[in-house]
Amino acid sequence: MLLKNENLSGAAFFETRDVAKSYGGVKALRGVSLDIRSGEILGLCGENGSGKSTLLKIISGQIQPTSGTLYFDGREVNFKNPNDALKMGISAVTQERTLAYDLTVAENIYLSHLKPKTLLGINWKKTHEQSKDMLDRIGCELDTNALVRDILPGQAQMVEIARAIIGKTRILILDEPTSSLTSHEVEKLFSALRNLAAQGVSIIFISHRIEEIYAICDRLAVLRDGNLVSTGLISEYSEKKLIHDMIGRDPSTLAKNEIFQGADSLLRTQNFSLINKFEDVSISLNKGEILGVIGLVGAGHSELLESIFGLHGQRKGVLQINGVNIRVRNPRDAMRHKIAFVPADRKNQGLVLGMSILENALMASTSWKNRLVRPRSKKTDEQVRTYSSDFNIVCSSLDAPVSSLSGGNQQKVLLTKWLSTNPDILLLDEPTRGVDVGAKSEIYRILLDQRDRGLSIIVSSSEIPELLTLCDRILVMFRGKVVANLNRALADESRIVQYAMGQLEEAVA
Amino acid sequence: MIIFFTITQERFFTLSNFTVILTSSSILWVTAMGLTFVMIAGGFDLSVGSMMALSGIALGYFSNQLDLNLAVAIFLTLLFGVVVGGLINGIAIGKLGLSFLVVTLGSSTLFIGLTQFWSGTKTSAIENKNLQILAYESLFFIPNQVVVMILVYLILLYVQKFTLFGRDIYAIGGNKEAAKLSGINTVRIIVLVYALAAGFAALAGVIQDARIGAASPQVGQNLIFTATAAVLLGGTSFSGGVGGVSGTVVGVLFLGVLQNGLSVAGVADYWQLIVTGLILIGAIGLDALQQKRRSSAARAVSDQK
Repeated sequence: MLLKNENLSGAAFFETRDVAKSYGGVKALRGVSLDIRSGEILGLCGENGSGKSTLLKIISGQIQPTSGTLYFDGREVNFKNPNDALKMGISAVTQERTLAYDLTVAENIYLSHLKPKTLLGINWKKTHEQSKDMLDRIGCELDTNALVRDILPGQAQMVEIARAIIGKTRILILDEPTSSLTSHEVEKLFSALRNLAAQGVSIIFISHRIEEIYAICDRLAVLRDGNLVSTGLISEYSEKKLIHDMIGRDPSTLAKNEIFQGADSLLRTQNFSLINKFEDVSISLNKGEILGVIGLVGAGHSELLESIFGLHGQRKGVLQINGVNIRVRNPRDAMRHKIAFVPADRKNQGLVLGMSILENALMASTSWKNRLVRPRSKKTDEQVRTYSSDFNIVCSSLDAPVSSLSGGNQQKVLLTKWLSTNPDILLLDEPTRGVDVGAKSEIYRILLDQRDRGLSIIVSSSEIPELLTLCDRILVMFRGKVVANLNRALADESRIVQYAMGQLEEAVA
Repeated sequence: MIIFFTITQERFFTLSNFTVILTSSSILWVTAMGLTFVMIAGGFDLSVGSMMALSGIALGYFSNQLDLNLAVAIFLTLLFGVVVGGLINGIAIGKLGLSFLVVTLGSSTLFIGLTQFWSGTKTSAIENKNLQILAYESLFFIPNQVVVMILVYLILLYVQKFTLFGRDIYAIGGNKEAAKLSGINTVRIIVLVYALAAGFAALAGVIQDARIGAASPQVGQNLIFTATAAVLLGGTSFSGGVGGVSGTVVGVLFLGVLQNGLSVAGVADYWQLIVTGLILIGAIGLDALQQKRRSSAARAVSDQK
């Protein structure tokens, strides 16, 4: 195995200079200047929303910067699309799978490249041989004749990487490549990456797992709020400094916290499990509290909420309300037990965009009525009108299509829809995603107000400040398990980050 | 179009001719109404034409072989349509989540086969002559067929506009996932929608038998095409969530006027098909163009935000 080549990394050949990107008024990237040296493994660190993905998309040509320039071998380059970047030898493996599941491994590896040819067409023998070579280069043993549908998720990840290194790759971008791999596969991948680096390929590596960053990277670049905060050799970063740079404050070193012993438990899950999503989760929601659940993408917190609402039929475990076991197989079962759920994906799961504000707001509360009665009455109209003025929903009329509203107002319509069912328990997944700052604080006010009136709420979110504002108690999940149960008084951003990245662990009762 | 036919054909703009247009559209009208609900809910039913033929044979069986009272026979025929459509199409699509195209293509073929089997591929006259009289009698000078058409329209319009069932159909067509997460019993609604479509196809089968005084296995072969054309012309789209029965009325009348005008003018049958086809493609194309323009305008607005 090669030593880390900290001092050997070659000359810088690729550079971003003052690259910035704004979406409308939102600045995702505020002038980042970063160089990439040949044969190095560069770790790109930052919290969600720090601008990592934006920077990667610019480097790989998926989006164009609002301002700033890219230099390749000293010459200015302008990538109009991913193909332009690919021609220069920059390829990216993103978090989304881009494989054709009904084709073979070899066909997938050559999906976007010309396959070797004979006079009569494709030279399949050579295609398979070369695919095998690519897989060998990254230390993966896999039958190139297998259908991608039949291989394991970790192997599919390797196929993606094999495809990315097929040409004369100079820069290989890997966004969270280990999230679907077993630890054994991770080790194999890492030794393959070191091999590639030794051959002169530069690798940009992103991972939420700190230990992996220390295991593989030569150099780090830390982003925060769209700015490049610091860069340096890995040896210059202690874990403390890395986390400090990522979140802008020192990680706290509080002692192990007490587990919050609140009032009566209203809702309880016991040994909740959903295959590949979460495992053995036992949580308890107390009456009149806001419980936060947080985790990195794929930690299972969204699926946990959805399962409580009856969306995943195959989940195992026990759900109790007031100590009584209940059966929840679908949303109607959950609603029967006075559970309400505001999903994360407003447009695809929450609202019927073509229908009016009023129709959307009444959709849940009318679901028990006889289907032959009128969908609305003076009374229900009045109820919605009261909510809309309480919540300050800005609209021309309640009969206007809900699609004409801004994200924040749409979210308030969803709150109206569910609060008018008079629930005992409200579940919210990413309650302020895509919502502007003003509406955000209004939604917080609504939720805190409802809590004070006795509603019990579970909020799942990927934004730490949001949970710190709202919650009485915060659960942190890591790879499908609850790893921390933090009283609001003891929770702070850096502790949550450490738990969410699997750095700290605590026995949870 | 009406003006064009009025100017060029003196026999076109007469009261009796309008009655002819209406009564000759009755089968299409009733079938298209049921199909409208299916399409608002984001589905489709290829089997309405063959269900109509099958129900016609069923009515012949109930009336001739079982020698039932006419009212009972008609009621049983409608029930037959609702139950068979609900059980086969409704359960397979709503409960099992199968593709509506596959299921109704299959049930359509199944119904054609059953029709041939049950009738022995022969047309048999319906012995109870009251049935045919029913088709050509009038209620207060309005032909019975037109009375049925208006009743069907008004009832469905009420259901569509003023009941939760009507709103559920739009919600499911607009966003099935959101409807389900709102606690709407989407399975039940979808089963009902396909049951109703088959029920109205059965009503069309009753009208068909009454018009010709016989149960024939040869009817309804083009019905699915014209009914779909009428629904689409009326503004209900395959993507679901939009449209309504009033639009379908316009679509049916448009096709009825067109065919009547062309046949009054003595234009050959195949020209009617060619013109109808061209108009349908033109109308749908125009609609798609407008939607594209609208959504790009909407995108421009949201970009500015």
